[in-house]
Amino acid sequence: MSAATLALALPGSLRLGNEVPLDQIAALVFPALGDTLIMVGIVMAIVVVVGIPLGALIHNLGPEGLFENHALHTVLSWTVSVGRSLPFLILMAAIVPFTRFITGTNIGIAAAVVPMSIAGIAFFTRIVENSLRSVPTAFVRVAKASGASPLQIIRTAQLSEAVPSIIGGITINTIAMIEYSAIAGTIGAGGIGYVAVTYGYQRFDHAVMIATIVILVGTVALVQFAGDRLVRLTTPRIRTAASRGAPRTRAAETIDA
Amino acid sequence: MISLDKLTKVYGHGDHRTVVLDDLDFSVAAKEIFAVVGPSGAGKSTLAQCVNLLERPTSGSVVVNGENLSTLNEAQLRVARGRIGTIFQSDGLFSRRTAAQNVALPLEYLGVTAAESRRRVAELLERVGLSDRAGHYPHQLSGGQRQRVGIARALALRPSVLLSDEATSGLDPQSTASIVTLLKELRDDLGLSILFITHEMDTVLQVADSAARLERGRIVESGIIVDLLQNPHSVLGRALQPARAHASAEPGEVTWLLGYASSHVPADWLIRMSTTLATPIRLLGASIESVNGATVGHASVGIHGAEPERIQSVAAQLGLSARLETSASRAGSIADANADVVPDSLERVA
Repeated sequence: MSAATLALALPGSLRLGNEVPLDQIAALVFPALGDTLIMVGIVMAIVVVVGIPLGALIHNLGPEGLFENHALHTVLSWTVSVGRSLPFLILMAAIVPFTRFITGTNIGIAAAVVPMSIAGIAFFTRIVENSLRSVPTAFVRVAKASGASPLQIIRTAQLSEAVPSIIGGITINTIAMIEYSAIAGTIGAGGIGYVAVTYGYQRFDHAVMIATIVILVGTVALVQFAGDRLVRLTTPRIRTAASRGAPRTRAAETIDA
Repeated sequence: MISLDKLTKVYGHGDHRTVVLDDLDFSVAAKEIFAVVGPSGAGKSTLAQCVNLLERPTSGSVVVNGENLSTLNEAQLRVARGRIGTIFQSDGLFSRRTAAQNVALPLEYLGVTAAESRRRVAELLERVGLSDRAGHYPHQLSGGQRQRVGIARALALRPSVLLSDEATSGLDPQSTASIVTLLKELRDDLGLSILFITHEMDTVLQVADSAARLERGRIVESGIIVDLLQNPHSVLGRALQPARAHASAEPGEVTWLLGYASSHVPADWLIRMSTTLATPIRLLGASIESVNGATVGHASVGIHGAEPERIQSVAAQLGLSARLETSASRAGSIADANADVVPDSLERVA
């Protein structure tokens, strides 16, 4: 067993100057990427499930919303703003007691998911709110006049019309969460960010650093590509134009702007 | 049958209190198309929202087929809205739904089974002549086609009242004409009461049986279209069929505005009048058409050397109103129209 694999097995015992052999980088980086994807996947599931209803609620408590309520709107909006205003590192440290209460630990993936979800929900709620704001209010009147209940209005006249925009938001949010996961890596959550910091930064292992950068850039590009593709698929105007062989435009990007 | 009873809508309180609709009273019978016209800011859109129950009136009521809808609670209101179909201005179709899915919306809200909904949607699209466009998205349809989908959707729940809220605004003349034809057919076939809110006078003339003029939240004038057109005092009548620029009179001639004031104006009135007055009458401009089966219109003529009283009495015998052209009437301004000279003899004719 080489010294390098020992370092791999015991990432805590740093041995400066001992670089990971090139043929072992893949074994180091890919499991870490897996951890990152699990972390971001769990967080995004929570973020979407909580963020969409919360964003829709805040939107409809606001002026001209379905259940306009100034007091409740202010309280919720202010709460979200607090979540948005703290740098992630500070937020993570600040809620350690809460994280420990929920997960029983303050290190590892489980512990990282809690602050990431909170930051992600705050971010995504604003994105959903913004997406809903861009849906013409005429649709709400149409739905009401057609006999829709408030929930039916939110589902068909607001969320459904905002789907491409919300998917664009999910893309942005996922990429932000990949970034947060690297910060969460510093509390031992593992993942690609953790490898980049401990091997690439603290041990000056340039090969590992470059490998993590390539993988991160690739992952983010893939998420963006998938997101753009979904936006295109959910926007009839763009989808039907593409299927007719009309010249492709960059309109997909402007949808979530 | 829909009637508004002392409908009033007030926004704000105290100093900021604005009366948007002031004591509106009118009714639209089955198979009647009733147009409400007015300048922007007159309260048209608020009226539309009170009629399709999106806004609750401050006082007064909206009565459909004898049932007062203003006293219902939210849940009852949702059901009641089915009795009033609304056609919105062209932007009312959901962009991510096909024509068929848009028409199915009210059925979906009501919880109609998929099979039943499919059948009804096919029937409705057929009715508006768009069966071959069922799978098209709104952006693939023309303005007129989109509006047809909107009409099909408004009819989905078999309403007895159709509210058209600026439905033809922004459409090109051909599309407007085809929508107007469709609305008249639907009115006849389904016995609908249609309330047609618009700012387009031309369209009113094409579509409506009766019309009302809304100004600053009040109905200032209303009546059967033909009556309005035949009444030389009617501001709305003159706005519906405005006098356009005409040739100018020769020196020594006096310009008269003659209006069709009855349904029995002989078609050869110009010759008859000239013969009776024993003076040539020169036609300077005219606009004569058939509206709802009656010939209506007006003409500007130049008459040389005849007594004004005599001209008026000859015109009256032919069923025409006659007034001297003034600078105000020449400008065609509605605001100054009341200043026009209208001879007494006309009252008997009209």
